[in-house]
Amino acid sequence: MKRVLLFLLLALAAAPAAAQESGFAVRESEVRKEPFSDAATVGTLPAKTQVKIVKREGGWLQIESPAATGWVRMLAIRTGATGADPASGDAGVKSLFNLARTGSSGTAVATGVRGLDKEQIQNARPNPAELEKLAGYAVAKPDAEQFAAGDPQLKAQTIEYVSAPGAGAQR
Amino acid sequence: MLRVRALLAGCVLGVFATAAGAQFNLNRLFDTVKNLGQATTEINEQQEAEIGREYAALLVGAAPLFDNADAQRYVNQVGRWLTLNAERPDLNWRFGVLDSDNINAFATPGGYVFITKGLLARLKSEAELAGVLGHEIAHVVKKHHLAALRKGAGMQAGANILAEFAAQRGTNRMIADRLVSGLKEVMLRGLDKDDEYEADRMGVVIAARAGYDPYGLPAVLQMLQGMNPQDSGLTLLFATHPTPDARLDTLDSVMGARLDRFAGQPALAERFARVMSGPPAGSAVQQK
Repeated sequence: MKRVLLFLLLALAAAPAAAQESGFAVRESEVRKEPFSDAATVGTLPAKTQVKIVKREGGWLQIESPAATGWVRMLAIRTGATGADPASGDAGVKSLFNLARTGSSGTAVATGVRGLDKEQIQNARPNPAELEKLAGYAVAKPDAEQFAAGDPQLKAQTIEYVSAPGAGAQR
Repeated sequence: MLRVRALLAGCVLGVFATAAGAQFNLNRLFDTVKNLGQATTEINEQQEAEIGREYAALLVGAAPLFDNADAQRYVNQVGRWLTLNAERPDLNWRFGVLDSDNINAFATPGGYVFITKGLLARLKSEAELAGVLGHEIAHVVKKHHLAALRKGAGMQAGANILAEFAAQRGTNRMIADRLVSGLKEVMLRGLDKDDEYEADRMGVVIAARAGYDPYGLPAVLQMLQGMNPQDSGLTLLFATHPTPDARLDTLDSVMGARLDRFAGQPALAERFARVMSGPPAGSAVQQK
Protein backbone atom coordinates (compact mmCIF):
# COMPACT_ATOMS: atom_id res chain seq x y z
CA MET A 1 0.00 0.00 0.00
CA LYS A 2 2.70 2.44 0.99
CA ARG A 3 4.77 1.57 -1.98
CA VAL A 4 1.90 2.00 -4.35
CA LEU A 5 1.42 5.49 -2.98
CA LEU A 6 5.05 6.35 -2.99
CA PHE A 7 4.96 7.33 -6.63
CA LEU A 8 2.58 10.17 -5.82
CA LEU A 9 5.10 11.63 -3.42
CA LEU A 10 7.85 11.12 -5.91
CA ALA A 11 5.79 12.80 -8.58
CA LEU A 12 5.10 15.71 -6.26
CA ALA A 13 8.75 16.06 -5.45
CA ALA A 14 9.71 15.85 -9.09
CA ALA A 15 7.06 18.24 -10.39
CA PRO A 16 8.84 20.90 -12.38
CA ALA A 17 9.25 23.46 -9.64
CA ALA A 18 11.08 25.76 -12.02
CA ALA A 19 7.85 26.32 -13.93
CA GLN A 20 6.26 27.54 -10.71
CA GLU A 21 9.00 29.91 -9.77
CA SER A 22 8.78 32.52 -12.45
CA GLY A 23 5.86 34.33 -13.95
CA PHE A 24 4.68 37.57 -15.42
CA ALA A 25 1.87 40.05 -14.89
CA VAL A 26 -0.95 39.86 -17.42
CA ARG A 27 -2.19 43.28 -16.39
CA GLU A 28 -1.05 46.23 -14.34
CA SER A 29 -1.38 45.29 -10.70
CA GLU A 30 -1.02 46.84 -7.32
CA VAL A 31 1.61 45.23 -5.14
CA ARG A 32 0.61 45.08 -1.50
CA LYS A 33 2.48 44.63 1.72
CA GLU A 34 0.20 41.82 2.90
CA PRO A 35 -2.08 39.35 1.08
CA PHE A 36 -5.23 41.47 1.62
CA SER A 37 -6.94 43.97 -0.63
CA ASP A 38 -6.89 46.61 2.10
CA ALA A 39 -3.21 46.17 2.88
CA ALA A 40 -0.82 49.03 2.12
CA THR A 41 0.26 49.38 -1.49
CA VAL A 42 4.01 49.10 -1.87
CA GLY A 43 4.20 49.56 -5.63
CA THR A 44 2.72 48.89 -9.03
CA LEU A 45 3.57 46.02 -11.31
CA PRO A 46 3.29 47.06 -14.98
CA ALA A 47 1.79 44.50 -17.37
CA LYS A 48 4.27 41.91 -18.66
CA THR A 49 6.70 42.47 -15.80
CA GLN A 50 8.68 39.32 -15.03
CA VAL A 51 8.34 38.20 -11.43
CA LYS A 52 9.70 35.53 -9.20
CA ILE A 53 6.90 33.69 -7.38
CA VAL A 54 7.72 33.02 -3.75
CA LYS A 55 4.48 31.46 -2.52
CA ARG A 56 0.71 31.49 -2.70
CA GLU A 57 -1.72 32.36 0.05
CA GLY A 58 -5.41 32.24 -0.82
CA GLY A 59 -5.94 34.44 -3.85
CA TRP A 60 -2.56 36.12 -3.53
CA LEU A 61 0.96 35.42 -4.72
CA GLN A 62 4.03 36.72 -3.00
CA ILE A 63 6.32 37.97 -5.75
CA GLU A 64 9.71 39.53 -6.18
CA SER A 65 10.48 41.82 -9.08
CA PRO A 66 12.66 44.85 -9.85
CA ALA A 67 9.47 46.93 -9.94
CA ALA A 68 8.18 45.93 -6.54
CA THR A 69 8.18 43.12 -4.04
CA GLY A 70 5.12 42.04 -2.11
CA TRP A 71 1.73 40.46 -2.73
CA VAL A 72 -0.32 40.59 -5.95
CA ARG A 73 -3.61 39.00 -6.94
CA MET A 74 -2.92 35.48 -8.08
CA LEU A 75 -5.10 35.83 -11.18
CA ALA A 76 -3.04 38.78 -12.39
CA ILE A 77 -0.05 36.45 -12.79
CA ARG A 78 0.68 33.72 -15.32
CA THR A 79 3.47 31.25 -14.78
CA GLY A 80 6.40 30.96 -17.16
CA ALA A 81 7.98 33.65 -19.29
CA THR A 82 6.02 36.32 -21.13
CA GLY A 83 4.47 34.71 -24.15
CA ALA A 84 7.48 32.94 -25.61
CA ASP A 85 9.51 30.10 -24.19
CA PRO A 86 6.88 27.81 -22.68
CA ALA A 87 7.97 25.03 -20.44
CA SER A 88 9.34 22.14 -22.42
CA GLY A 89 9.71 18.44 -21.97
CA ASP A 90 7.36 15.74 -20.84
CA ALA A 91 6.13 15.54 -17.29
CA GLY A 92 7.72 12.18 -16.70
CA VAL A 93 4.97 10.97 -14.42
CA LYS A 94 4.96 7.79 -16.40
CA SER A 95 8.55 6.87 -15.66
CA LEU A 96 8.07 7.68 -11.99
CA PHE A 97 5.07 5.44 -11.96
CA ASN A 98 7.02 2.57 -13.45
CA LEU A 99 9.78 3.17 -10.95
CA ALA A 100 7.34 3.05 -8.05
CA ARG A 101 5.88 -0.17 -9.35
CA THR A 102 9.21 -1.94 -9.34
CA GLY A 103 9.10 -4.61 -6.71
CA SER A 104 5.36 -4.56 -6.26
CA SER A 105 3.12 -7.11 -7.88
CA GLY A 106 1.99 -4.58 -10.46
CA THR A 107 -0.35 -7.10 -12.01
CA ALA A 108 -3.07 -4.59 -12.73
CA VAL A 109 -0.76 -2.56 -14.86
CA ALA A 110 -0.43 -2.96 -18.56
CA THR A 111 3.05 -1.62 -19.23
CA GLY A 112 3.29 1.49 -21.29
CA VAL A 113 -0.39 2.20 -21.14
CA ARG A 114 -0.89 5.88 -20.74
CA GLY A 115 -4.66 5.54 -20.81
CA LEU A 116 -7.37 7.91 -21.86
CA ASP A 117 -5.73 9.10 -25.02
CA LYS A 118 -7.94 9.59 -28.02
CA GLU A 119 -7.12 6.16 -29.34
CA GLN A 120 -7.85 4.41 -26.07
CA ILE A 121 -11.22 6.04 -25.76
CA GLN A 122 -11.96 5.20 -29.35
CA ASN A 123 -11.24 1.54 -28.67
CA ALA A 124 -12.74 1.40 -25.17
CA ARG A 125 -15.18 -1.34 -24.28
CA PRO A 126 -17.55 -0.91 -21.32
CA ASN A 127 -16.18 -2.47 -18.13
CA PRO A 128 -19.14 -3.13 -15.79
CA ALA A 129 -16.97 -5.09 -13.34
CA GLU A 130 -14.83 -2.01 -12.72
CA LEU A 131 -17.98 0.02 -12.10
CA GLU A 132 -18.97 -2.46 -9.41
CA LYS A 133 -15.62 -1.89 -7.76
CA LEU A 134 -16.18 1.86 -7.95
CA ALA A 135 -19.49 1.51 -6.11
CA GLY A 136 -17.59 -0.09 -3.23
CA TYR A 137 -15.71 3.17 -2.61
CA ALA A 138 -18.83 5.33 -2.56
CA VAL A 139 -19.41 7.55 0.47
CA ALA A 140 -22.94 8.03 1.85
CA LYS A 141 -24.29 11.45 2.75
CA PRO A 142 -23.97 11.05 6.55
CA ASP A 143 -20.40 9.82 6.14
CA ALA A 144 -19.55 12.87 4.05
CA GLU A 145 -21.02 15.09 6.75
CA GLN A 146 -18.97 13.29 9.35
CA PHE A 147 -15.86 13.74 7.22
CA ALA A 148 -16.46 17.50 7.13
CA ALA A 149 -17.21 17.69 10.84
CA GLY A 150 -13.96 15.94 11.72
CA ASP A 151 -10.55 17.38 12.34
CA PRO A 152 -9.67 19.48 10.42
CA GLN A 153 -13.20 20.80 10.16
CA LEU A 154 -14.79 22.04 6.96
CA LYS A 155 -17.46 24.63 7.58
CA ALA A 156 -20.23 24.97 5.01
CA GLN A 157 -20.97 28.47 3.71
CA THR A 158 -23.88 29.96 1.82
CA ILE A 159 -22.48 31.61 -1.29
CA GLU A 160 -24.15 32.64 -4.54
CA TYR A 161 -22.55 31.54 -7.80
CA VAL A 162 -20.60 34.21 -9.63
CA SER A 163 -22.17 35.33 -12.89
CA ALA A 164 -20.73 35.16 -16.37
CA PRO A 165 -18.85 38.24 -17.56
CA GLY A 166 -21.35 40.87 -18.61
CA ALA A 167 -24.27 39.01 -17.08
CA GLY A 168 -25.93 40.95 -14.30
CA ALA A 169 -24.44 43.45 -11.92
CA GLN A 170 -21.65 41.44 -10.33
CA ARG A 171 -18.46 42.78 -8.78
CA MET B 1 -39.76 -10.88 -22.28
CA LEU B 2 -37.42 -8.10 -23.20
CA ARG B 3 -35.96 -7.87 -19.73
CA VAL B 4 -32.32 -8.78 -19.56
CA ARG B 5 -30.16 -9.50 -16.55
CA ALA B 6 -27.30 -7.24 -17.29
CA LEU B 7 -25.92 -3.82 -16.74
CA LEU B 8 -26.90 -1.45 -19.47
CA ALA B 9 -23.32 -1.64 -20.59
CA GLY B 10 -23.66 -5.37 -20.95
CA CYS B 11 -26.22 -4.90 -23.67
CA VAL B 12 -23.52 -3.67 -25.97
CA LEU B 13 -21.60 -6.87 -26.19
CA GLY B 14 -24.21 -9.12 -24.77
CA VAL B 15 -21.57 -11.04 -22.88
CA PHE B 16 -21.99 -9.55 -19.42
CA ALA B 17 -25.22 -11.33 -18.66
CA THR B 18 -23.88 -12.55 -15.34
CA ALA B 19 -22.66 -9.15 -14.15
CA ALA B 20 -24.43 -8.00 -11.05
CA GLY B 21 -26.76 -5.14 -11.65
CA ALA B 22 -30.29 -3.96 -11.85
CA GLN B 23 -32.76 -5.37 -14.25
CA PHE B 24 -33.25 -3.20 -17.23
CA ASN B 25 -35.99 -3.07 -19.68
CA LEU B 26 -34.51 -2.74 -23.14
CA ASN B 27 -37.48 -0.68 -24.17
CA ARG B 28 -36.39 1.89 -21.68
CA LEU B 29 -32.96 2.18 -23.24
CA PHE B 30 -34.57 2.76 -26.60
CA ASP B 31 -36.77 5.44 -25.10
CA THR B 32 -33.73 7.06 -23.54
CA VAL B 33 -31.83 7.19 -26.81
CA LYS B 34 -34.92 8.36 -28.61
CA ASN B 35 -35.52 11.15 -26.13
CA LEU B 36 -31.92 12.25 -26.47
CA GLY B 37 -32.39 12.53 -30.20
CA GLN B 38 -35.38 14.74 -29.69
CA ALA B 39 -34.16 18.00 -28.25
CA THR B 40 -37.57 18.91 -26.93
CA THR B 41 -38.04 15.79 -24.82
CA GLU B 42 -36.85 16.01 -21.25
CA ILE B 43 -34.55 13.24 -20.07
CA ASN B 44 -35.70 12.05 -16.67
CA GLU B 45 -33.33 11.25 -13.82
CA GLN B 46 -33.62 7.50 -14.38
CA GLN B 47 -32.67 7.88 -18.02
CA GLU B 48 -29.85 10.21 -17.09
CA ALA B 49 -28.52 7.60 -14.66
CA GLU B 50 -28.62 4.94 -17.38
CA ILE B 51 -26.69 7.10 -19.81
CA GLY B 52 -24.24 7.98 -17.05
CA ARG B 53 -23.64 4.34 -16.20
CA GLU B 54 -22.91 3.61 -19.85
CA TYR B 55 -20.58 6.60 -20.03
CA ALA B 56 -18.74 5.67 -16.83
CA ALA B 57 -18.40 2.03 -17.91
CA LEU B 58 -16.63 3.26 -21.04
CA LEU B 59 -14.27 5.49 -19.07
CA VAL B 60 -13.23 2.68 -16.72
CA GLY B 61 -12.99 0.53 -19.83
CA ALA B 62 -10.43 2.97 -21.27
CA ALA B 63 -8.48 3.21 -17.99
CA PRO B 64 -9.15 1.03 -14.93
CA LEU B 65 -9.43 2.32 -11.38
CA PHE B 66 -6.20 3.14 -9.58
CA ASP B 67 -5.56 0.23 -7.25
CA ASN B 68 -5.43 2.19 -4.00
CA ALA B 69 -8.42 2.00 -1.68
CA ASP B 70 -7.24 4.87 0.57
CA ALA B 71 -6.92 7.31 -2.30
CA GLN B 72 -10.26 6.19 -3.77
CA ARG B 73 -12.04 6.57 -0.47
CA TYR B 74 -10.50 9.97 0.21
CA VAL B 75 -11.53 11.33 -3.18
CA ASN B 76 -15.06 10.05 -2.50
CA GLN B 77 -15.15 11.76 0.90
CA VAL B 78 -14.05 15.10 -0.50
CA GLY B 79 -16.28 14.75 -3.55
CA ARG B 80 -19.40 13.66 -1.70
CA TRP B 81 -19.00 16.52 0.79
CA LEU B 82 -18.76 18.94 -2.14
CA THR B 83 -21.98 17.57 -3.64
CA LEU B 84 -23.79 18.33 -0.38
CA ASN B 85 -22.92 21.96 -1.06
CA ALA B 86 -24.19 21.95 -4.63
CA GLU B 87 -27.53 21.37 -6.27
CA ARG B 88 -28.66 17.78 -6.83
CA PRO B 89 -27.14 16.38 -3.60
CA ASP B 90 -29.31 13.27 -3.83
CA LEU B 91 -27.90 11.88 -7.05
CA ASN B 92 -26.07 8.59 -6.87
CA TRP B 93 -22.67 10.29 -6.74
CA ARG B 94 -19.59 8.15 -7.35
CA PHE B 95 -16.00 9.37 -7.48
CA GLY B 96 -13.00 7.51 -8.79
CA VAL B 97 -9.29 7.81 -9.52
CA LEU B 98 -8.43 6.39 -12.93
CA ASP B 99 -5.13 4.58 -13.37
CA SER B 100 -3.89 6.82 -16.13
CA ASP B 101 -0.86 9.09 -16.31
CA ASN B 102 -2.78 11.48 -18.49
CA ILE B 103 -3.75 14.72 -16.80
CA ASN B 104 -7.51 15.05 -16.88
CA ALA B 105 -10.79 14.80 -15.01
CA PHE B 106 -14.18 13.65 -16.23
CA ALA B 107 -17.81 13.69 -15.24
CA THR B 108 -20.79 11.84 -16.65
CA PRO B 109 -24.52 12.42 -16.48
CA GLY B 110 -26.03 11.06 -13.30
CA GLY B 111 -23.11 11.81 -10.99
CA TYR B 112 -19.96 9.86 -11.89
CA VAL B 113 -16.81 11.95 -11.44
CA PHE B 114 -13.29 10.80 -12.25
CA ILE B 115 -9.83 12.25 -11.83
CA THR B 116 -6.75 10.66 -13.33
CA LYS B 117 -3.86 9.56 -11.18
CA GLY B 118 -1.69 11.82 -13.36
CA LEU B 119 -3.63 14.92 -12.35
CA LEU B 120 -4.00 13.84 -8.71
CA ALA B 121 -0.22 13.47 -8.46
CA ARG B 122 0.26 17.08 -9.57
CA LEU B 123 -2.12 18.61 -7.02
CA LYS B 124 -0.78 20.19 -3.85
CA SER B 125 -3.76 20.37 -1.53
CA GLU B 126 -7.27 19.19 -0.78
CA ALA B 127 -8.54 22.62 -1.86
CA GLU B 128 -7.03 22.02 -5.30
CA LEU B 129 -8.69 18.61 -5.44
CA ALA B 130 -11.95 20.27 -4.34
CA GLY B 131 -11.61 22.82 -7.15
CA VAL B 132 -11.15 20.11 -9.77
CA LEU B 133 -14.02 17.99 -8.42
CA GLY B 134 -16.20 21.10 -8.02
CA HIS B 135 -15.73 21.88 -11.71
CA GLU B 136 -16.80 18.34 -12.64
CA ILE B 137 -19.75 18.40 -10.22
CA ALA B 138 -20.93 21.60 -11.91
CA HIS B 139 -21.03 19.77 -15.25
CA VAL B 140 -23.33 17.17 -13.70
CA VAL B 141 -25.50 19.72 -11.89
CA LYS B 142 -25.98 21.67 -15.14
CA LYS B 143 -26.39 18.53 -17.30
CA HIS B 144 -23.76 19.78 -19.73
CA HIS B 145 -23.09 16.32 -21.12
CA LEU B 146 -26.71 15.75 -22.07
CA ALA B 147 -26.63 19.03 -23.98
CA ALA B 148 -23.46 17.91 -25.78
CA LEU B 149 -24.96 14.51 -26.56
CA ARG B 150 -27.99 16.17 -28.07
CA LYS B 151 -25.83 18.36 -30.22
CA GLY B 152 -23.85 15.39 -31.50
CA ALA B 153 -24.66 14.00 -34.89
CA GLY B 154 -24.35 10.57 -33.37
CA MET B 155 -27.45 11.05 -31.30
CA GLN B 156 -29.50 12.27 -34.21
CA ALA B 157 -28.47 9.16 -36.04
CA GLY B 158 -29.39 7.26 -32.91
CA ALA B 159 -32.93 8.46 -33.19
CA ASN B 160 -33.01 7.28 -36.79
CA ILE B 161 -31.64 3.89 -35.84
CA LEU B 162 -34.38 3.70 -33.32
CA ALA B 163 -37.00 4.23 -35.93
CA GLU B 164 -35.44 1.44 -37.91
CA PHE B 165 -35.57 -0.81 -34.93
CA ALA B 166 -39.21 -0.03 -34.44
CA ALA B 167 -39.74 -1.08 -38.02
CA GLN B 168 -37.98 -4.39 -37.26
CA ARG B 169 -35.12 -3.55 -39.54
CA GLY B 170 -32.49 -3.00 -36.87
CA THR B 171 -31.04 -4.94 -33.98
CA ASN B 172 -30.76 -4.26 -30.25
CA ARG B 173 -27.04 -4.16 -30.58
CA MET B 174 -27.17 -1.43 -33.17
CA ILE B 175 -29.07 0.82 -30.78
CA ALA B 176 -26.61 0.33 -27.94
CA ASP B 177 -23.63 0.71 -30.28
CA ARG B 178 -25.05 3.98 -31.46
CA LEU B 179 -25.31 5.26 -27.91
CA VAL B 180 -21.72 4.21 -27.19
CA SER B 181 -20.42 5.97 -30.28
CA GLY B 182 -22.34 9.10 -29.31
CA LEU B 183 -20.75 9.01 -25.86
CA LYS B 184 -17.27 8.54 -27.26
CA GLU B 185 -17.86 11.45 -29.56
CA VAL B 186 -18.60 13.69 -26.57
CA MET B 187 -15.54 12.40 -24.69
CA LEU B 188 -13.28 13.23 -27.61
CA ARG B 189 -14.92 16.42 -28.79
CA GLY B 190 -15.56 17.83 -25.33
CA LEU B 191 -18.33 20.00 -24.06
CA ASP B 192 -19.44 23.42 -25.15
CA LYS B 193 -16.68 25.93 -24.30
CA ASP B 194 -19.13 28.20 -22.47
CA ASP B 195 -20.12 25.22 -20.34
CA GLU B 196 -16.46 24.81 -19.37
CA TYR B 197 -16.27 28.43 -18.26
CA GLU B 198 -19.50 28.03 -16.34
CA ALA B 199 -18.13 24.94 -14.60
CA ASP B 200 -15.05 26.95 -13.59
CA ARG B 201 -17.19 29.74 -12.14
CA MET B 202 -19.32 27.23 -10.25
CA GLY B 203 -16.38 25.06 -9.22
CA VAL B 204 -14.68 27.81 -7.23
CA VAL B 205 -17.96 28.58 -5.44
CA ILE B 206 -18.77 24.94 -4.69
CA ALA B 207 -15.31 24.53 -3.14
CA ALA B 208 -15.81 27.71 -1.09
CA ARG B 209 -19.28 26.59 0.02
CA ALA B 210 -17.77 23.34 1.25
CA GLY B 211 -15.34 25.31 3.41
CA TYR B 212 -12.24 25.24 1.20
CA ASP B 213 -9.96 27.99 -0.05
CA PRO B 214 -11.71 28.89 -3.35
CA TYR B 215 -8.42 29.48 -5.12
CA GLY B 216 -7.64 25.79 -5.48
CA LEU B 217 -9.02 25.56 -9.02
CA PRO B 218 -7.21 28.71 -10.20
CA ALA B 219 -4.01 27.26 -8.72
CA VAL B 220 -4.51 24.05 -10.72
CA LEU B 221 -5.14 26.05 -13.89
CA GLN B 222 -1.99 28.05 -13.22
CA MET B 223 -0.06 24.79 -12.81
CA LEU B 224 -1.46 23.50 -16.14
CA GLN B 225 -0.70 26.82 -17.79
CA GLY B 226 2.93 26.52 -16.70
CA MET B 227 3.31 23.05 -18.23
CA ASN B 228 4.57 22.35 -21.72
CA PRO B 229 1.43 22.44 -23.89
CA GLN B 230 3.01 19.70 -26.01
CA ASP B 231 3.17 17.34 -23.04
CA SER B 232 1.62 14.09 -24.21
CA GLY B 233 -0.32 13.80 -20.96
CA LEU B 234 -2.24 16.97 -21.76
CA THR B 235 -3.32 16.25 -25.32
CA LEU B 236 -6.91 15.27 -24.64
CA LEU B 237 -7.45 17.86 -21.90
CA PHE B 238 -6.22 20.66 -24.15
CA ALA B 239 -8.20 19.34 -27.12
CA THR B 240 -11.45 19.41 -25.15
CA HIS B 241 -11.09 22.56 -23.03
CA PRO B 242 -10.34 26.24 -23.55
CA THR B 243 -6.67 27.02 -22.81
CA PRO B 244 -5.75 27.41 -19.12
CA ASP B 245 -4.80 30.98 -20.00
CA ALA B 246 -8.30 31.77 -21.26
CA ARG B 247 -9.87 30.05 -18.27
CA LEU B 248 -7.70 32.06 -15.86
CA ASP B 249 -8.59 35.28 -17.68
CA THR B 250 -12.28 34.48 -17.34
CA LEU B 251 -11.99 33.59 -13.67
CA ASP B 252 -10.00 36.79 -13.15
CA SER B 253 -12.81 38.84 -14.68
CA VAL B 254 -15.62 37.23 -12.67
CA MET B 255 -14.02 36.49 -9.30
CA GLY B 256 -12.51 39.87 -8.55
CA ALA B 257 -12.58 40.22 -4.80
CA ARG B 258 -15.94 38.48 -4.42
CA LEU B 259 -14.57 35.34 -2.82
CA ASP B 260 -11.79 37.03 -0.86
CA ARG B 261 -13.81 36.63 2.29
CA PHE B 262 -13.38 32.87 1.96
CA ALA B 263 -9.76 32.83 0.81
CA GLY B 264 -8.64 32.17 4.37
CA GLN B 265 -10.54 28.89 4.49
CA PRO B 266 -8.33 25.82 4.77
CA ALA B 267 -6.46 24.37 1.79
CA LEU B 268 -5.51 21.27 3.77
CA ALA B 269 -2.22 20.64 2.03
CA GLU B 270 -1.03 18.51 4.93
CA ARG B 271 -3.94 16.09 4.93
CA PHE B 272 -3.71 15.81 1.16
CA ALA B 273 -0.02 14.99 1.34
CA ARG B 274 -0.65 12.51 4.14
CA VAL B 275 -3.21 10.54 2.15
CA MET B 276 -1.04 10.65 -0.94
CA SER B 277 1.92 9.24 0.94
CA GLY B 278 -0.05 6.41 2.53
CA PRO B 279 -0.93 5.54 6.13
CA PRO B 280 1.56 6.43 8.87
CA ALA B 281 4.19 3.82 9.65
CA GLY B 282 2.85 1.03 11.83
CA SER B 283 -0.78 1.54 10.96
CA ALA B 284 -0.64 -0.26 7.65
CA VAL B 285 -1.07 -3.68 9.22
CA GLN B 286 -4.01 -2.63 11.35
CA GLN B 287 -5.72 -1.01 8.41
CA LYS B 288 -5.44 -4.15 6.43
